[in-house]
Amino acid sequence: MAVENRDPAVHLDRGFWLVTALLAVLSALAVYATIMWHPENMPQLPEAAIPADQVDQLFKFLTASAAVIFIYVVGYLVYFAIAFRVRASDPPDAVGVQIHDHHQLELWWTIIPTVFTIVLAIFSVKIWAGVQFASPNNGLVVEAIGHQWFDDFRYPGVHGIVTDEMHLPLGVPVTLHVTSSDVIHSFWLPSMRIKADMIPGMINTLRFTPTRAGTYPIICTEFCGTLHGTMNKQVVVIEPQANFDKWLAGWKGKNKNASDAIPVAGTGTVNLTGGDAAAGQKIFAQKCSACHAVGPFSQKIVGPGLKGVLHDPAHPKLVNGEAANPEDAAKILQKGYDGDMGHMPNASQNGISDKDIANLVAYLNSLK
Amino acid sequence: MAVAAAPTHGGGVADHIHPEPHSFIRRYIFSIDHKIIGIQYIVTAFLFMVMGGLLAELIRVQLMNHSGTFVKPDTFNELYSIHGSTMVWLVIIPLLTGGFGNFVFPLQIGARDVAFPWLNMLSFWIFPVAGLMLYSSFLMGAPVAGWTEYPPMSLLGGPGTSMWAAAIFLIGVSSTLTGINFLVTILKMRAPGMTFTRMPLFVWGQLATAPLLMIATTALGAALAALFIERQFGVPFFDPTRGGSPVLWQHMFWFYSHPAVYIMILPAFGMISEIFPTFARKPIFGYKMIAFSTVAIALLSFMVWAHHMFTSGMAPFLQLPFMILTMFIAIPTGIKIFSWVATLWGGKIHLTTSMMFAIGFIATFTFGGLTGVYLSAVPFDLHAHGTYFIVAHLHYVLVGGSLMAIFAGMYFWYPKMSGRIMNEFWGKVHFWLFFIGFNATFIPMHWLGLLGMPRRVAVYDPQFQFWNQFASISSFVMTAGILVFFINAIVSLRTGKKAGANPWGARTLEWQISSPPPYYNFKKVPAVLAAPYDFAEPLPYRGLEGELDPNVPAPVAAGH
Repeated sequence: MAVENRDPAVHLDRGFWLVTALLAVLSALAVYATIMWHPENMPQLPEAAIPADQVDQLFKFLTASAAVIFIYVVGYLVYFAIAFRVRASDPPDAVGVQIHDHHQLELWWTIIPTVFTIVLAIFSVKIWAGVQFASPNNGLVVEAIGHQWFDDFRYPGVHGIVTDEMHLPLGVPVTLHVTSSDVIHSFWLPSMRIKADMIPGMINTLRFTPTRAGTYPIICTEFCGTLHGTMNKQVVVIEPQANFDKWLAGWKGKNKNASDAIPVAGTGTVNLTGGDAAAGQKIFAQKCSACHAVGPFSQKIVGPGLKGVLHDPAHPKLVNGEAANPEDAAKILQKGYDGDMGHMPNASQNGISDKDIANLVAYLNSLK
Repeated sequence: MAVAAAPTHGGGVADHIHPEPHSFIRRYIFSIDHKIIGIQYIVTAFLFMVMGGLLAELIRVQLMNHSGTFVKPDTFNELYSIHGSTMVWLVIIPLLTGGFGNFVFPLQIGARDVAFPWLNMLSFWIFPVAGLMLYSSFLMGAPVAGWTEYPPMSLLGGPGTSMWAAAIFLIGVSSTLTGINFLVTILKMRAPGMTFTRMPLFVWGQLATAPLLMIATTALGAALAALFIERQFGVPFFDPTRGGSPVLWQHMFWFYSHPAVYIMILPAFGMISEIFPTFARKPIFGYKMIAFSTVAIALLSFMVWAHHMFTSGMAPFLQLPFMILTMFIAIPTGIKIFSWVATLWGGKIHLTTSMMFAIGFIATFTFGGLTGVYLSAVPFDLHAHGTYFIVAHLHYVLVGGSLMAIFAGMYFWYPKMSGRIMNEFWGKVHFWLFFIGFNATFIPMHWLGLLGMPRRVAVYDPQFQFWNQFASISSFVMTAGILVFFINAIVSLRTGKKAGANPWGARTLEWQISSPPPYYNFKKVPAVLAAPYDFAEPLPYRGLEGELDPNVPAPVAAGH
């Protein structure tokens, strides 16, 4: 068509058509493999909620199309680089076919990607609408609050916060509001294929419906400080509803007297008598050892090393310039710490009881 | 003093040529010669690449083990924050704009220098100072929140975070000045007869990049100034507990950093568009479409920034225009890729190291571009955002894209800069180590991300350990390739084969003068008769040095 005069005619030889056919076969195999691939059967990544299957449909559509494009681009690239390489028999000033453009070809490789992009956009908008609106907002409303470096949950009818896992009944639409008490975190449910950033001062909302019973990870994907990599919790999808109600009733009882304000510090004094150092050691391993080493003060992970904290006179004076005593240690465990050595969560954020504090103090006292 | 080279639109008569400086300092240190400044940029940026690469390897050593005991978590966070900042602002952007831009495009348009040579010197000297400031933040507690430094984390980071902000601000000033300088040079100083449609495509790449440098970088400067003021003087722009908005930072940062993605790829596209026709001995296929798509990508780059923020919480319907506009970037990008592949068809292809890197670029950049299309789709992005899938994607476009093109450009223009050709055997060793090492490092990361590995973590789930070890070991192979490159570049300075003016048989103007070019580039500015890619035609230039022309005045030893 609009080939310029100085350009020779385009002649595609048999090798070109052979390669084109070979790439077509490879593309067909790639598309077939993509269609046959069932992410719901993958142990690491089951489809556990209503938008998940749709997101996977989009992923498969993208992968099939990308595979075809990639196979053709790289296939022709490698074939041309080999087939048209300069030969020893060519004169040193040999030149290639002096063709500048081919308007029809260029028109096609503008139109086809444009059509593909429009199809992809329509498909994506459809699935986007599914993710945004598929789950009605008349189901269970849960709130998740991010902290450095854990999540807390609030449930309707439960005072205070639920500190262990997020439990959800199977098949009930969930409206999940997320926010943060300190820095930006992100709340990712890989098995549900959804995520929202937890931003202080803002509430973001996720809507989904759990469709598969089981325990799935909750992962923080926005950098949030020293222990970002350890900020994981779990969501437990329960069936039948009665079991979920039982779990919820348990928390209702446990938190009967809890304040609905987000707790910031404990009150009252802890009875330290009868603390068990062995039990304290276990709690230390679970709750403290991420930030504190059992070593000299200078052995800092996030907080200082705690060996000899209640005995070594050389240990820096933690409390009002005085050496710490067991009551001081209990107070820090209870109220948390905010100061020049950093930030330590309080007892309710850490999920430790008064009994745990007594055991921990006994354990710290045993470190000489 | 700061007088630019001759006006060149009046028939190419050179009326004023600066005398060549003879003192070492004026010639090689505080030089106003765009070629020396370009080489200064390239050398400095490669030195910073050694630092950034070292940080990358420390990161990979830490991730060899899922419980990551090599360095403490806070140190690890400093490592990747400075790694990212180095590679973006001290390596890739300076190499592609200040480095190759400075050295190559004024020669290609037949200019004697850029429009503002003293401004050019200032742009360069800001860069190493800012780089040293960035690294000095290690001494005072480096930033930890990654190269994006989202508040409130960046408000809590060590004192070095303010130093980081100041350093990147200065780099931004340098970039903005370079953008102004290049834009004026391309618009006003082309040789007579060099119309827009006769410009080499590398010049088109720089022409589209210059406005991005000027406009987008100012948004980053404002964000960094606000962050600095908030950290040092307590004015709450971003702190939510005092009425600030942390999301405001994200908008300002990405309003710069998405166009910055194209600052880091449009000049690379230009390089590929020079290297492909030269080694295929064929005109570039679809010149006008490649030039047009370059401009289209530059325009679109300002309209898509919020696709980095789909999980940050915006009005849901606002996600749609950002998603759809992002997808449309695939169209001009596709046109370029198809045109390059078509350029190879029917060629007489010389598989030099430069050409192999250019071909490798197409493969890896296509891969990275396609995962970019995945991420543009909001529902998929809500799964993949903030995971290793992002790490894989961004390294495919920045390393598999920009850095591969930079290597192709180094092998291509090194003879013009030094007068000698880099060793081809070691060049190919470099290519294969780098290409295999790179793909083996970053391909598994896509999968790790989809399965649940978040980015920026010092420790991770044990189930991901195998592929992390695989990636770490592969990254050592890639680094070995880069070491081969550095040694080759240094050794070839002395032992490389003499290049002559035009070792590759290329047709753009820079190859028609000696290697390295004379101080004033062109004794007489040549006239340009056609686009530079017709390999079967005589060269489309008239009045090149060497042709006798009584109208050429001898260089004037002007009395300043």
